[in-house]
Amino acid sequence: MEQIRLERTADRSLPSRRGVLRTGGLLLGALTAPALLSGCGPAAADGAGNVLRVSQPGDPTTLDPHKQGDMVSMNVLINMFDTLTTRGRDNQLHPRLALSWKAIDARTWRFAIRPGVTFHNGEVCDAQAVAFSIKRLLDPATQSPIVELRFVEDVTVAGRLTVDVHTTVHDPILPAKLSLFGGVIVPPRHLSEVGDDGFAERPVGTGPFTFVSWQRDHELRMQAYPDHWNGRPGVDGLVFSPAPNASSSLAALQSGGVDLVAGLTPDAAQQLEGYSGVTLDGYTGIRTAYLSLNTLERGPLQDRRVRQALNHAVDVPLLIKAVLGGKATETPALVPRGAFGFDPSVKPFTRSVKTARRLLAEAGHPNGFSTTLTASNADSNVAEALSGLLARAGVRARVDLLDPGTYSARLTSDNRGALGPMYLAASTVWTLDGQSIVQSNVRSDRRQSRWHSAEADRLIDAEELSEDPEKRKQAFSDLQRLMREEAPFVFLYQIDNIYARNERPRWKPGSAGVLAMESAEVSR
Amino acid sequence: MSLTLDKPPAPAVSRPSRSGGGPRLLRMVLHRLGTALLVLFCTATVAFFLVRLSGDPVKIILPPDATAEQESTLRASLGLDRPLLNQYLDFLWGICRFDFGDSLIYNQPVSEILLDRLPATIELAAAALVVTLVIAIPAGIFAAMRRGRGSDHTVMTGVLIGQSTPPFWVGILLILVFAVWLHALPASGYGTFAHLVLPAVTLAVYSVAVVARLLRSSLIDVLSSDHIRTARAKGFGPLKVVLTHGMRNASLPVVTVIGLEVGNLLGGAILTERVFSWPGVGQLTVEAISNRDFPLVQATVLFFAATFVVVNLLVDLSYSFLDPRVRTSR
Repeated sequence: MEQIRLERTADRSLPSRRGVLRTGGLLLGALTAPALLSGCGPAAADGAGNVLRVSQPGDPTTLDPHKQGDMVSMNVLINMFDTLTTRGRDNQLHPRLALSWKAIDARTWRFAIRPGVTFHNGEVCDAQAVAFSIKRLLDPATQSPIVELRFVEDVTVAGRLTVDVHTTVHDPILPAKLSLFGGVIVPPRHLSEVGDDGFAERPVGTGPFTFVSWQRDHELRMQAYPDHWNGRPGVDGLVFSPAPNASSSLAALQSGGVDLVAGLTPDAAQQLEGYSGVTLDGYTGIRTAYLSLNTLERGPLQDRRVRQALNHAVDVPLLIKAVLGGKATETPALVPRGAFGFDPSVKPFTRSVKTARRLLAEAGHPNGFSTTLTASNADSNVAEALSGLLARAGVRARVDLLDPGTYSARLTSDNRGALGPMYLAASTVWTLDGQSIVQSNVRSDRRQSRWHSAEADRLIDAEELSEDPEKRKQAFSDLQRLMREEAPFVFLYQIDNIYARNERPRWKPGSAGVLAMESAEVSR
Repeated sequence: MSLTLDKPPAPAVSRPSRSGGGPRLLRMVLHRLGTALLVLFCTATVAFFLVRLSGDPVKIILPPDATAEQESTLRASLGLDRPLLNQYLDFLWGICRFDFGDSLIYNQPVSEILLDRLPATIELAAAALVVTLVIAIPAGIFAAMRRGRGSDHTVMTGVLIGQSTPPFWVGILLILVFAVWLHALPASGYGTFAHLVLPAVTLAVYSVAVVARLLRSSLIDVLSSDHIRTARAKGFGPLKVVLTHGMRNASLPVVTVIGLEVGNLLGGAILTERVFSWPGVGQLTVEAISNRDFPLVQATVLFFAATFVVVNLLVDLSYSFLDPRVRTSR
């Protein structure tokens, strides 16, 4: 766009032809063009009454819950659909459409479905609907980006309200995977009547709110579903609007256009500190950040002492305070607190530039060394700060920022070195099980694994395949101790979920930060 | 862009000829149409290959822990595993049938998505055009009449500041003042007249500057000519001289530029839509690019290119209709 404008400016001197023409009428016509706008009435009194208006950084990509895999879409859909299980604010797994579940053998989970639940169109939600939903999700024709149910082989109806889920390997956290993306139940009869496109246009679920209207990139309206099995929600209406940049959403909050702003980054939230009528709430979240170190290629990072030195050098509490406005919590060994497997007895590294320098000298780098730190440009502040902290110990890390698309393409490529020797990454552990963060990063056959340890592989197998939760817990503890010692990552923090709100809403999120608004209330 | 202004149509011979005018005009129109199609073809080609250089949409659609098998399944179902040349030919054939394919992210035909967002963008551009004319024309006339005086400098400095300030910055300032401090207008959103005001003003600022400056300079040019001196000598007041005698002659370049500004407003809305969360094509384009939504990016790029091409074409044609010396038939 800018290119075109520059050319235009340069050309401006050219059309100096002085012709005789009667443009008076034309100009007059243009001046009276406000008639074009007469269709727009005065500002409607928006947001009055028992309606909660929520803004988040993006708009849903689609309203078909099986055809999206991003949190922004899920945040909206979770209000219209129910999942089989759910995470409470206590981070425990609770019944939702499934009343109870148990592993009846190593590869089968049996779910008892809640009786008396109906979809918004009156259709009954039973074992058939549950089996249909999971099969639809797994059907390649659905083109679902949801990958959590990849071990599910088949679903069988064992009774009117009983469903068996068969897996190819023992999947201990399957019930947790059915608490969000994997567990959304859709109406089979309705889908066969209206088809996928019709369903995505006017979604029908069993959730606490029913669909009213959606204008892409502007607003999505829902209203309370009075017949919901869990009772009528606390608000009559729910409006989601996207605000792609933080300053717009903050302005909307300050000017009274929305009640609650979700998905704020800490630096955006800091801008808002101290404004009257605006409250910032931070809740410990489960998005966990770390620096991945490439120990597979020749270089200083192959030496354990160097990796430990980096951990001593990166003063995480200082980083949290200075760059993140205090809105994060240190994680000692990759698994975030709140997730199954977190071991509070594993302590973070002591932060000491002196220790870092000593370890570097012992490893043969008395003057430090030069390296590259790659990050998505969405995390540029943190990356720059990390580079500064490393420099104090003599490690000169040049920051290499990539646009988020390029970054994630390289992150998931088969080339483990595609992001260079050191990269900043974060993972949202929404299943609230440590497995989901180690599963793609640690075991030596995984794509992002850049540290190969037979002992770690053994512990991950124990953690992933054991049926006994105690055994899993022990494996997680041993794994974290090993990782703390070998330091294949620079362990950073789990970031808070930050919400800015005005005086109206009363609502508390769980640590996954899902915008389920069933329990929310507003003062009028 | 310079396609039009570099080569203004040659003035026709003085004697209008009923027999020669029609074919000549037709030939010019056909020539212009041919050029326009060529430009669109080149744009489509460049857009197609550039977005494919930018990365793999499958990596963005699937989470990082997807298996390689899941990736290849999705890639195949999106048709991205086929040879590039096949994809390209399909894309071109699709354009001919006005079919831009399905969006990779939204699971919906691209043309539907585009048509969905178009009204918002047109509404914004139309409103910005109105704001432009209402401000720029009086400002240009005023400055030309007060040429060289303090008030001229004041107006022109203001206009220059407008021209050199990036639109997103103007937008943020307006939000801060009118939405956050004064609570007079909504900060973002869409639907009512109040929602339209700030984005329209933001988008118009640049065009106001372009139009006002051009109007001033061409008016000054005209005001020094003989027939204006004659009009003054007849005792007409300065405003009447400018409006009745000056404006007529000064208007042709201004009308040309206003025409081009329409294209600029339609295409230049990207940043403004972003700042104000305006649900138009500009906002859609930004999303599509960051999602690597190939079909959608291709279609929006083509849309913007087509807008400019069509506006250029219309300005070109109107030129020959409006200027009697160019006009060849009756």
